[in-house]
Amino acid sequence: MKIFFIILAKELISFMRSVMLVVVVLYSFTVDIYIAGSGIEIKPKNVTVGYVDNTGGGISKKILSRLHQPEFVEPKSYLSQKALSDAIFNKEIVVGIVFDSSFEKNYRQNKVVKLNILLDSTAAAQALTTLSYLQNIVIEFEKLDIPIEIKSHKLFNQNADNHQFMALTELLSIITMLIVILTAIVFVKEKEDGTWDVMLLMPVSPKIIILAKSMSQVLIVMVGVILSLGFVLFGAFDTPMNGSFWLFILFTFIYAFSSAGLGLFVAAVSKDVMQVAQLSIIIMMPLIFLSGAWTPVYAMHPVFQKLSILSPLRYYIEGSESLFYRGTSFIDMMPYFGGVLLLGTMLYWYGFRKIGKLF
Amino acid sequence: MKIRTVQAYMLKEFMELYRTKLIVMVYLMPLMIVILFGYGIRMDVTQARILIIDNDQSQLSRKLTTAFEHTKYFNAKTTYMSEKEALRTIKQAKTDVILIIPSSFEKNLYKGLVSELGVFIDAAFPTRASTIEAYVQGEILSVAASVTKNMPSQAQGMIELNSRTLFNQAMRDEDAIVPGLIGLVLLVAPAILAALLIVKEKEKGTIFNFYASPLSKGEFLLAKILPVFVLHSLNIFILFLVAIYLFEVPFRGSFLLYWLCSELHIMISLAVGMLISVITKKQIVAVVLTVIVTILPGFLYSGMLMPISSMSGESYIEAHMFPVMYYNHILYDTFLIGQGLASDKILLYLAILVGFLIFFFTSGVLLLKKEIK
Repeated sequence: MKIFFIILAKELISFMRSVMLVVVVLYSFTVDIYIAGSGIEIKPKNVTVGYVDNTGGGISKKILSRLHQPEFVEPKSYLSQKALSDAIFNKEIVVGIVFDSSFEKNYRQNKVVKLNILLDSTAAAQALTTLSYLQNIVIEFEKLDIPIEIKSHKLFNQNADNHQFMALTELLSIITMLIVILTAIVFVKEKEDGTWDVMLLMPVSPKIIILAKSMSQVLIVMVGVILSLGFVLFGAFDTPMNGSFWLFILFTFIYAFSSAGLGLFVAAVSKDVMQVAQLSIIIMMPLIFLSGAWTPVYAMHPVFQKLSILSPLRYYIEGSESLFYRGTSFIDMMPYFGGVLLLGTMLYWYGFRKIGKLF
Repeated sequence: MKIRTVQAYMLKEFMELYRTKLIVMVYLMPLMIVILFGYGIRMDVTQARILIIDNDQSQLSRKLTTAFEHTKYFNAKTTYMSEKEALRTIKQAKTDVILIIPSSFEKNLYKGLVSELGVFIDAAFPTRASTIEAYVQGEILSVAASVTKNMPSQAQGMIELNSRTLFNQAMRDEDAIVPGLIGLVLLVAPAILAALLIVKEKEKGTIFNFYASPLSKGEFLLAKILPVFVLHSLNIFILFLVAIYLFEVPFRGSFLLYWLCSELHIMISLAVGMLISVITKKQIVAVVLTVIVTILPGFLYSGMLMPISSMSGESYIEAHMFPVMYYNHILYDTFLIGQGLASDKILLYLAILVGFLIFFFTSGVLLLKKEIK
């Protein structure tokens, strides 16, 4: 046990000595997550609109005035259709609306009129949603007197605040990324320097060495997680915590250990840091982005849905989202814990076996 | 320029890449990422799981239910669950939306009384939640409009949306995502490879060979970069073929422009990796730093997830600070739009990319030391 703590302390100290590394890890747990959270907005917001108005009057203005924040920025006027389409081609605006000269006259005469819309659909999903916004705006404008009131409740995140969500997703990805890379490199460094064989030959059980070494990296990441939760998620973005905080910490700890197992595996099969870098990217990128971070699992290609059952990150992400937003109770969390624990044990055991062998 | 020495150095780099089997990684990694993500990322919402609690059981409520059943956006299920039970299925992440149709919904509608439809959406995935909300509203309103149109009180003009979608007529997700992925991959993969080239020698001590060699700093960097550059250039063609044949993304621009600006972009990401390699002392730092510096902007500012023109404030400025945005603008143009060099903006962006390359490369040369401190 004493040896365990000595190795643990040695790893932590050698981590602290590399100032640059500490800075980079801190950066990724704070600034990086902040940028991800504040920068991105996948829901159409601030959609830039341009229009050409040949009617000279009332109705077109009324419709345009309904395009407002946060979904749309104030529409810009263009003199001709040519100028409008040029602006779309140069990606200055996303939506172009053309009011024909006969638009108002015909509308007033109760005829069916056409409103021409040009839409940059490069980002297909946003284009679709933007179109449905426009549709709803026109339907509302016509005031068909439909006696229906749609009471919509967005549960868990009433304003559909995307910043918190992106920050949380980024945090989960960073945890995975760092724990795998850090653990793998700690082991591979020893291999590169030729000290790993010496370690295994020492009269100390290799199990303790491996456990202590991976434990040290898990600890580093856990500290990062807590800092990031405190400063960025709760501090800057006011992320709600509807579940139990300690349950999340426990969940993260178990998950970090299972990912450390992945790191062990990477270290076992690669010879130097260069290979670790390439291999861990190859393993992690698919793992992160196909585990429901960007697309919910059920919306993915069926083959990937099957594959994602094997990813511990999938259970971790779903479980964490449930904890933060849905406030899921401990009982309902069991499948997620089970998934992470089962896959984690398998991964760790396999990596453990692979790296612990001398020849 | 000592051509023969540079040649010898380049040969050595090639051999090293070949021996460590990294050469497989150079081609495997980009291909794998594009294929996995191309199939994996879905931004549009289809088959959202909607649970309809129909307390009315009238003709109208059934019409509404079938409307939801017949669109590809929803995967509708009608149940008689209590509200509470239904909410629990949301908590277990088994349902995305619940729609509650009140009793005597039809009667009230024809009488002109206001009836309330309850919609509960799981917003743990906020973007999807707002998309789903807009779809649900649209679906309900269009059903209601088709019913009330026949009623006498509604004599007035109708506005029909005549929308023309440009560049991606079928609104396919593949067309939107795959070009962006090429931009991401050609940013991440070369940078990671390059990031280790120098710092590796520093850690092992073999950098002294360079200190003692007659090579100048610029020649040294060039000799390091060129082999990787040549290897990665092949990826431009591989990824192009994958995009066109596997994902069936249209290609409307000039191939020459695509090729040249991709080469330029690879050069830039190599120079970024090189710069990281020059300023760091340890491989572990170089790896983590490169991953953080390339992957996030590669995704955020690719235009893949959101158009740059819709960004606001600081993120709009940040987006312009990373070269990937300019490259992706040209990339999307060659694939989907096809204006090519006729557009002034593309010429400007090309110039900016060249500027980035010169900036990164010269700062690499300036910061590299050729002696012991």
